[in-house]
Amino acid sequence: MDSENKYPTEGFKCWKKAKELRLQYYKNYMQAKEKGGIRWAGNAPSIDAVPYGLGDDVYHLTGEPYGATVAYNKEFARRCHEVVEAKGYARDLCAYMRNYWGSVLLNEFVFGGPFPKPDFMWVLHSCCSHAKWYQEASRIEGGIPYFVIDWSAGMYYKWDEKREDYVVDPNQEHRIQYLVDQMQEGIEWLEDITGREYDDEKLIQAAKNYFESTSLWAEICTLNQAIPAPMDEKTMYSFYVFAALHKAHREVVEFYKELRDEMRDRVARGIAAIPNEKARIMTDIQPPWGFLEIYRYMESYGVVSIGSFYTFTLMGHWEIAEDGTFRPRTTPMEKGIEIRTREDALRLLADWALGLPMAQIFYDHRFKSHIMKKIFTQWKCNGIIMHFNRGCEGLTLGVAENKQALVEAGIPVAYYEGNMGDEREFELATVKEQITAFIESLGLIK
Amino acid sequence: MFDKFREWYENRHEYAKDWKEKTGGKVVGYICTYIPEEILYAANVLPVRILGGHEPESIGLAEPYLFGMYCPFCRDCLAQGLQGKYAYLDGIVIGQSCIHIRQTFFSWRQRIPHEFDHYIPMPMNVVTPRASIPFLRKELEIFKSALERWLEKEITDDDLRRGIEIVNKNRRLMKKVYNLRREPNPKLTGLEAMYMVVSSQLTDKNEHSDAIEEMFNNGLATRDLGRESSIRLMTVGSENDDVEFTKMVEETLGATIVIEDHCTGSRYFWEEVKLDEKDPLTAIAERYVTRTPCPQRDWEPERIRFRRILDLIEEFGVQGVLLIQQKFCDPHELDIPALRDLLNEKGIKNYFLEFDVTVPVGQFRIRVEAFLETFASDELFAEDIV
Amino acid sequence: MIAVGIDMGAKNVKAVVVRDGEQIGRSIFETGFDRYVSARKAFEGALQDADVGEEDVGVVVATGAGKKVVTFAEKQFTVMACNAKGIVRLFPSVRTVIDVGAEEARAIRLDETGKVIEFAINEKCAAGAGAFVEAMARAMEVEVGEFAQLSLASTKAIPINAQCVIFAESEVVSLIHAETDRADIAKAVHDAMAARVGAMSQRIKVQKDIALVGGVARNIGFVQSLKTFLKEDLLVPPDPEFVTALGAALLGMEGEESD
Repeated sequence: MDSENKYPTEGFKCWKKAKELRLQYYKNYMQAKEKGGIRWAGNAPSIDAVPYGLGDDVYHLTGEPYGATVAYNKEFARRCHEVVEAKGYARDLCAYMRNYWGSVLLNEFVFGGPFPKPDFMWVLHSCCSHAKWYQEASRIEGGIPYFVIDWSAGMYYKWDEKREDYVVDPNQEHRIQYLVDQMQEGIEWLEDITGREYDDEKLIQAAKNYFESTSLWAEICTLNQAIPAPMDEKTMYSFYVFAALHKAHREVVEFYKELRDEMRDRVARGIAAIPNEKARIMTDIQPPWGFLEIYRYMESYGVVSIGSFYTFTLMGHWEIAEDGTFRPRTTPMEKGIEIRTREDALRLLADWALGLPMAQIFYDHRFKSHIMKKIFTQWKCNGIIMHFNRGCEGLTLGVAENKQALVEAGIPVAYYEGNMGDEREFELATVKEQITAFIESLGLIK
Repeated sequence: MFDKFREWYENRHEYAKDWKEKTGGKVVGYICTYIPEEILYAANVLPVRILGGHEPESIGLAEPYLFGMYCPFCRDCLAQGLQGKYAYLDGIVIGQSCIHIRQTFFSWRQRIPHEFDHYIPMPMNVVTPRASIPFLRKELEIFKSALERWLEKEITDDDLRRGIEIVNKNRRLMKKVYNLRREPNPKLTGLEAMYMVVSSQLTDKNEHSDAIEEMFNNGLATRDLGRESSIRLMTVGSENDDVEFTKMVEETLGATIVIEDHCTGSRYFWEEVKLDEKDPLTAIAERYVTRTPCPQRDWEPERIRFRRILDLIEEFGVQGVLLIQQKFCDPHELDIPALRDLLNEKGIKNYFLEFDVTVPVGQFRIRVEAFLETFASDELFAEDIV
Repeated sequence: MIAVGIDMGAKNVKAVVVRDGEQIGRSIFETGFDRYVSARKAFEGALQDADVGEEDVGVVVATGAGKKVVTFAEKQFTVMACNAKGIVRLFPSVRTVIDVGAEEARAIRLDETGKVIEFAINEKCAAGAGAFVEAMARAMEVEVGEFAQLSLASTKAIPINAQCVIFAESEVVSLIHAETDRADIAKAVHDAMAARVGAMSQRIKVQKDIALVGGVARNIGFVQSLKTFLKEDLLVPPDPEFVTALGAALLGMEGEESD
């Protein structure tokens, strides 16, 4: 253990606000019907900007953060798994999905009370589970209407031999059109099932919020390049979740601006996440939510996790600058693009969604390996600890190859197996042993 | 009568190598049946499906590249490639499929030498055709151009029409053979059907179609297998070319598999490309968007595939259903509870089995036997009433 | 300077006594219900074997899954670190060590000083560890030693799926019912396990020379199968189950010397 404290630390000023906002988000959803509002459910990447065109009283529940919250409550999660397995679902399926279905089947909301059924479901599909998750949720909830937009339109980037880097593939037009056509049909469907008239102005504002909030998140992550790191990844999880909850909401933009300013201030004053920072690691893929204590364990040896491809790019939007720097994506507003019509907004939304770095893992693992190396260098890391997460087969696509590539590049890499949402597949003692061996190999234990 | 197909199935690599030597043409391996073989036939390229070898001892070769929870089939396929068994392939292609098999393609693309590769982002959304068909048409155009650049020759619309006809003819013929399975005394076993359909994915379809026509000329339609009193089963599920299991069910236990819903079975060839006067690429795009979907793209509340399964049960006089799922296959795991609920509701007996690279035939025999016994007790019960 | 390394394994506790870098004593005890008592017994046994008193011991190092119960140890290290350190002492040319114990297997890549570079451990299933062979030998009603011997008499390759012990056992039972030659079944089991351990090892970059340690390294049938799978020779130390404890003692010594 290490007690050499060389950096000043302090808690985040906006921590309290974050807690309130998160609570308010779930409250809004639970109470939406009391005020005659609309509530819907969907996955975290779903293009929530589109349903915002139905009005200001539209609230939603994203399944992945909900599933993670369930995982954090181990006893509740256990009951969810039991009821889902009793219905014949395989236990190797997405752990978030099983937590969500379990909650529906038990008719218990993790925040208390019965499970608040949505009016409809609105989904963006990329891994094998997204569409099916809500198809089954609809079936067990008695036929709630759902609409799925397919995101798997192909790779946004392509390898440029000359630059030895990825560049945006110019062949995007029909891919954008594919998403636009689906969203157009989706808007007709939304009007149809809600009986409301669609407001393009609200769509345009929500789209702008989405561009801004997800680029801001990338900016916040970028500030963590500082030594000492002003934010550890465990804290980052609590903040990045807002983009996963409702990225197209103005509130998230405002909150991220505040957080960004606080990060700038911390960097300027040399405020550290942990006082004894000696080594910086990055992780990979969702953590085992019920066992975030492993981060505290690493910190006891002076090891801080500065983030990951996961926390940076699941919701954050980035671009590769000409000099190869991985940096926050320039928003259409920053480019001076005017958004006047529904068509304008949908095209930009499609283009934005297709360019998400995380979405590229579905087409080529080499992209992620390449970006991980960039993060490793730009964020000044000493090693990488990867979570081979049995709870999410989508984000584990390519992990074994990523590991190979990173080792090949001479980067110290360790991995452990676990599950983000099913504690039966996580052994704390074994994982601690692996983390310890890795820290030993970094020369931090004598 | 089906020996030819069995030989092709067993000697797939020799066949492809001979074909190359004989024709001087190129062979492309494909992963998943969402690949427009029509375009490859138009280019005079032989498409062959990459399948597993059912050899657990070599699976370990794939281990460093695949996540531990990915299905045994995707590992088996990659292990085949890593062993050099497909060294004769000039290229590999995939029609966007489940993520497990995508990983096989990605690792293959990176680690196994080849001239040509292509990833077709086959739309997952087949319930909004107004969006997916134009999108896929454009992707098919990109695929065609990539092939043209590789082969240094143009693929004309006439070539495409010819390619469509070759594949359609084979589909029609296999469907004609399948019709003989509807009869009270089926003219072929499930194993024979499996050899036929899988070998169609491994050989030149012109030759394959000739072999089917020859069977008809040799009296396929009047054959008597003496299976009129055998229990009629349907198998439903993921990729399945497990010969040992099928033999056990049909030869040891005496049941007959009269129809199946697998991508190595009816799901592969059931629908034709409807060419009409249309632009051929649009016609191909329509076929792949409207074909019987794999569970991962079957998003309708009532599920398109389930309707078809119920129809097939009716048309083929199915008495019981064996649900066969590759271990860890998420798309099927996501459909099976709903399908079992539906079958139970309709009073159709069903039994679930999880498959791996090899199956424990002994243990499965006991289970399937017990399942089949439930039909016998039904009959006893009926006699009691009489 | 005398250091003692204690390796708290799932099945046995191993202790090694080292004086000035040389092994002078060792002992092994079955892991009992009270693991502290087992640790003490192994510790005292090793001291006796080395003919030294407890008061002569400079440092005690514990490793292994149950290392926390060894309250009389001044230091703890991970099994991976101990494995690596122990094996370079025995075979300086080794860069990869594969350790197969009763319930766990791991592969470690190391540098010439015995420092860990990367490692992999088996997934949560006993199919890739000693307990698997024991279960299969039980199914065939033979001792593990005999089972290992049997395997060498076979040249056949029968596929068995070793992704899961339960699944594999039912395949073995099927083979027994089919009156398959016992030697062929034994080899099939070792091949299956070797494929599993070999595959796990390949998750790291396997570099030569390769050593096999842990109790299962005594199983000659398995050693043969693993050599075949990896297509590489394997160095097996004479007392493969003591390598981790030796490494623990050496690591303890190192720290003391630099202090």
